[in-house]
Amino acid sequence: MTGLSSKAEDEFGRLLPADVTPSARLFFDQFQRAGLPGRRVESWHYSDLRTKLRAVPEMAHAPDDAARAVARHKLEASERLRLVTVDGFFAPDLSDDISAVAGIDISPVGEAEFFGGAADPMLDLNAAFSRGGFLLDIAVGARIDRVIEIVALTGAETDRSRFGRSLIRLGAGARAEILETRDEGFAGFGDSALFIALGEDAQLDYACRCRETAGVEVQTVNVMLAARATLRAVSLLAQTPFLRRQFFVSLAGEGAELKLAGAVILGRNDHADMTMVVHHNAPACVSREIFKYVLGDHANGVFQGKIVVPPHAQKTDGKMMCRALLLSDEAAMSAKPELEIFADDVACGHGAAVTKLDAQQLFYLETRGVPHIEAEKILIDAFAADVFDALESEVLRDLLRTDLSDLLGEEEPAS
Amino acid sequence: MLEIDNLHVSVAGRKILDGLTLKVEDGQVAAIMGPNGSGKSTLSYVVAGRADYEVQDGTIRLDGVDIMEKSPAERAAMGLFLVFQYPLEIPGVATMTFLKAAMNAQRKARGAAELPTIEFMKQVRATAAKLNISQDMLKRPVNVGFSGGEKKRMEILQMALLEPRFSILDEMDSGLDIDALKTCAEGVNALRGEGRSFLVITHYQRLLNFITADVVHVMSRGRIVKSGGPELALALEASGYAEYAEGAAA
Ligand SMILES: Nc1ncnc2c1ncn2[C@@H]1O[C@H](COP(=O)(O)OP(=O)(O)O)[C@@H](O)[C@H]1O
Ligand SMILES: [Mg+2]
Repeated sequence: MTGLSSKAEDEFGRLLPADVTPSARLFFDQFQRAGLPGRRVESWHYSDLRTKLRAVPEMAHAPDDAARAVARHKLEASERLRLVTVDGFFAPDLSDDISAVAGIDISPVGEAEFFGGAADPMLDLNAAFSRGGFLLDIAVGARIDRVIEIVALTGAETDRSRFGRSLIRLGAGARAEILETRDEGFAGFGDSALFIALGEDAQLDYACRCRETAGVEVQTVNVMLAARATLRAVSLLAQTPFLRRQFFVSLAGEGAELKLAGAVILGRNDHADMTMVVHHNAPACVSREIFKYVLGDHANGVFQGKIVVPPHAQKTDGKMMCRALLLSDEAAMSAKPELEIFADDVACGHGAAVTKLDAQQLFYLETRGVPHIEAEKILIDAFAADVFDALESEVLRDLLRTDLSDLLGEEEPAS
Repeated sequence: MLEIDNLHVSVAGRKILDGLTLKVEDGQVAAIMGPNGSGKSTLSYVVAGRADYEVQDGTIRLDGVDIMEKSPAERAAMGLFLVFQYPLEIPGVATMTFLKAAMNAQRKARGAAELPTIEFMKQVRATAAKLNISQDMLKRPVNVGFSGGEKKRMEILQMALLEPRFSILDEMDSGLDIDALKTCAEGVNALRGEGRSFLVITHYQRLLNFITADVVHVMSRGRIVKSGGPELALALEASGYAEYAEGAAA
């Protein structure tokens, strides 16, 4: 970009602490050179951060007692092994003592770890600012039979900028189920990063539910799969004022398998952008991306999916599908599925479709005595819920199903 | 029980029901026979409350209550039921979930408590068995992948579970082989009795061998043109609809 930097970029520069490490400084410089992404950057065309983020809220600090009390208030009792972050900082005193569980280790994020990942200005910004994140290690061959839950909360009472950063690493042959609950409140700005690295033959079921996301929020998930590793990742997004959730996946080892799915349920003026770039970097990898959007009121849904297959990735099997259900004439959906294929022996495909509720199906349900609103909910639920089948974990599937029907129960679908 | 008076209905600017008047008494089984396109399905949809029809004139009363402004669900709660000529497939909605939602919605509308799950399962299983509906069918999404006959049996299952006071059967016999027809007819006959009425719409007299009608009406070009006893159906079977067909003099 030319020398013209936006106000927000200068503000970020001002917020950068004086004692910033040299590598953080490098990431910041990289961010500043690229600039805050906006509509002129092709991959950010539908989520114009430049106009959205005009003022940068103050930095969030490591939580003090007051902040922890605010966060604790939001924690519900649970059977799950819980790791809590407050404004992006790992809070051991709010978390379960995980050191007692065999095969799991938790430690602070070291600076050198996983600073790779996709080239993305918001990931650079996260690398420049993030502190206090955690690294979750699941040992080689470990089978964790309890669900691990990462809960992202806020302790702030006012607008803050948050830069959570966590790493999940599964050793070869390890298996785990991880739930992420993001509930940091509507205030402020968020730019979080999650790194997932699966060793050979490892299997992870990962479900993320976004309950309240910041006024402007970017979530980046970086995934690296070794040979025959399997990641099943499902996101349930709702109540997102302005969210960009992006996945950068590398199927790095032969025979790795990815299932990436999501349900996006939006109303009001909500904006949610699910963007994913899936690199088939080894032969015989499988990827399935399936996303469903339910858009009411003035909601704005964005889907961008790209499957990249270099010449050596023969026997690639990649399929991508995005469907949107529009409940209102004012709601809008933009879908951009893309294939970049340079190998010849592949089976790849994509599709996108926009539909409305079927009047005949509604009528049929209503003639059985089901009131109109109720009938709509049944059909919306049926439309969206099957994306959860991407998960093998029944516990996680049921959790997301319940969350979805609670969501639909709460808010009258707008028509 | 059901009184339709001077009903005029258009679809997409075209008149389909043209001053239809019909009365079905309490406990009665009335048949409507008529050529294709005479407006039989339209009539059943309008009575059930489908919104995309333009009702220009007329009234429909159920048990003396004008239902024209009521929603389909309200009509159902009043005891109205429609066996669809073409039952809808609803992918993603499990049959049991659907049945439960329907039964509980109607109970709720009548101020009754929700049916306990065990009791619900028991009722569904027992009724399904009588209609030769397998457990496997009950596990599938509503009507998805069902044959024509399976769909019709599923309609009768719903009818039997909801115990409506007034049922409209729109060509229940279409797409049914003789065994399935018998099974479905038994399901209907089991519900017959005081306080329940049926409007049996059919193109063929054959159905009335299994469900005997008290009265038979002939419908043509959107109105009832002739009424009589069961012998009227037999006469029609012999002579065909030529004299009532589209274009023929009324
Ligand atoms: N939704 C619709 N749009 C346009 N025409 C319709 C619609 N529904 C019914 N019709 C027309 O209305 C007439 C009556 O149809 P229908 O009620 O299905 O007759 P029947 O059940 O007696 O065969 C037919 O000519 C049909 O084409
Ligand atoms: Mg018909």
